[in-house]
Amino acid sequence: MSFASRDQYQAVHEMLSNGQIDAAWTCGYPFVRFQSQLQLLAVPLYKGQPLYQAYLIRPLGGEVSVRGWSDMSGKVFAYSDPLSNSGWLVAHGEFAAAGIAQGNLKRSFFAYGHRNVADAVASRLAFAGSIDGYVWETMRLQGMAGAMQTEVIWKSRLHGFPPLVAAAGTEPAKLDALRRSLIGMPNDEAGRALLKSLNLDGFIAGQPGIFDSIRHLTRSVPGSGVAA
Amino acid sequence: MLSRLSYRVQIPLGLSLAVVLAALLVTAVAAQISARTARADTLATVDRAAQLLSAQSMPLLAADDTWRVFALLCNTAAFLPGAATGQARTAVLDSEGRGFASSAPQLLRTAQALLGQTASGQTLPTVTAVTQPIRIDRPDGAIALLEPIRSEDDQALGFTYIEVDAPVFAADWATLTQPALVGVGLAAFLLLPAGLWIGRRMTAPVLSVAHVIECIGRIDPTELRRKLPHTQDPELGRISAAVDQLISELQVRQRAERRALSAERMAAVGRITAAVAHEINNPLAGLLTATQTLSVHGGSEETRTRTLDLLKRGLNQIQTSVAALLPQARAEDRALEIDDFTDVLTLAHPDVAQRNVQLTTQVEVESAMRVPSAVLRQVMLNMLLNGVSAAGEPGAVHAELRADADRLWFSVAHAGKALTQDAMEAKLVAESGDDPRGFGLWVCREIATQYGGGFDVDSHHGQGTRLVFWMPNREAHEELAAD
Repeated sequence: MSFASRDQYQAVHEMLSNGQIDAAWTCGYPFVRFQSQLQLLAVPLYKGQPLYQAYLIRPLGGEVSVRGWSDMSGKVFAYSDPLSNSGWLVAHGEFAAAGIAQGNLKRSFFAYGHRNVADAVASRLAFAGSIDGYVWETMRLQGMAGAMQTEVIWKSRLHGFPPLVAAAGTEPAKLDALRRSLIGMPNDEAGRALLKSLNLDGFIAGQPGIFDSIRHLTRSVPGSGVAA
Repeated sequence: MLSRLSYRVQIPLGLSLAVVLAALLVTAVAAQISARTARADTLATVDRAAQLLSAQSMPLLAADDTWRVFALLCNTAAFLPGAATGQARTAVLDSEGRGFASSAPQLLRTAQALLGQTASGQTLPTVTAVTQPIRIDRPDGAIALLEPIRSEDDQALGFTYIEVDAPVFAADWATLTQPALVGVGLAAFLLLPAGLWIGRRMTAPVLSVAHVIECIGRIDPTELRRKLPHTQDPELGRISAAVDQLISELQVRQRAERRALSAERMAAVGRITAAVAHEINNPLAGLLTATQTLSVHGGSEETRTRTLDLLKRGLNQIQTSVAALLPQARAEDRALEIDDFTDVLTLAHPDVAQRNVQLTTQVEVESAMRVPSAVLRQVMLNMLLNGVSAAGEPGAVHAELRADADRLWFSVAHAGKALTQDAMEAKLVAESGDDPRGFGLWVCREIATQYGGGFDVDSHHGQGTRLVFWMPNREAHEELAAD
């Protein structure tokens, strides 16, 4: 088994569709968006549930004028990835709900990774950023500067945890073997150690319905790529 | 203080001090050179960084990729002098002169207008003014560099902006001092023992010469010569040669001293012999006269008795004089009596008669005389014969013996040639020499000195000369007790 890493979900899904990889750890938003081309392999369990939250963060001790989405007008904002639920879709939904168009932001940019969002906000490159709550908590658990120098000012509702997916045409036997391995990780020492390092509790097979909240969100956000 | 130390310490210390001073001087000069070149080096680095950033950020700026420009700036700024301490920062500005991203977003904020604005107390040029690289030198020594970023079709996409604070251009004293300190440490570590070794090596011949000089007079000169260091060093060679010469001269002097001592001993023996002969000869003439008197007038009982007493006292005087020369002999000497004075006059009579001298005497003895008779007879006879000899023909001599409880005086005055004190001293020196003819006055001075008395010319005497001998009126054991 070999692993490959890319800093954008788009690249990951291109590798998956090209058959360069058998499975990928992606986000709930691209799973919903490209669901017809994918099949669910497993869903991680975080704090005992296959769910997580999106966070709005700002620099620790930063400008108190940024208290929520509605304060971001005229500010610089950091997204994670154009295909990220917590790093783009949720933010767009909240900006829309707050009545702030993208043009109202002074500037916005993608940091290509939740960790980079934390670093961008911590360094004051952006006034605030939208980030995967699980990633931020895990960074903080590990004492990483990006998380230690930022603070959470808003948390989203629970969404389906970023799943592990495979291409739709993947051989069932291979898929089942991989799923069993993932689900059985808590049963052996190496598996438990790996889960601990990932700050996860385990994996479940999961059902697409877990991502209904994201699916719902895509329908309300213009440009999400999912038909309403 | 250094001069008080020995050469063995001075030399290594001097070497180390020289190295330390050299290191400090080199450091001072290097600091000056470094201060002059540091600014040029930093500016060159900033120029290269600006060119690199402009080239690398151009496609990212075109793609509106703030994060990757930020990452590029962070990575590039790390190469700028002073970036690690927050004294240098860089930014990419958009085409309107606003911050696109910077390595220090807190200072150069994203999307904040910079060109045409005041930064660090100085107004930056406007967007349209930056058509080529511009360096802004601030009054405090800091600099700012602006360089336009152009696309391949020469469209203005943005600007590279670099700030370097003034302290970055200052000489890095800590870095400059470190080699000097290392040099000083190495000097202390290597040169001190080396200098100690060299110092010992250099000073060993000097110490050998010093030791030889210390031993001069205590060790055989031949052995001393053997201990002198034989060196090729010209200075030490001169010192050794000088010491060798000194030893040679000392050898010559020692031989001369030994010869002189031997001669002096011989002369002393001669003087003693002459003195003894003189002291024996003086009374001898009187005694011979007495024997003639005895043979002519021996029929008279009185004359025979008086002559025999005179002979006895005269022979006793000779015996006492001879015994004084023999340390192991202790001749018993009685106290002086008036008869001794008479004997002396009698013993001198032949000379008095021969030289046609009129002799007058005076005796004033107020207290018992306790001085030894032999030496006083010797003194009186010497002085009297000397006076008779110096009085001229015909002449007059007056001898006077006085005594009180404390002192005894004997003086002889004559109307002959006057003798001054200086002439007297010269005569005494001459008489103490090798001339055996005139020991009388010298013997008188020696006896006076020996018995705590005096023998001088009476400087108040009128015409002629008056010699005065005096000594404490006490016996020999009283004299020792008094001393």
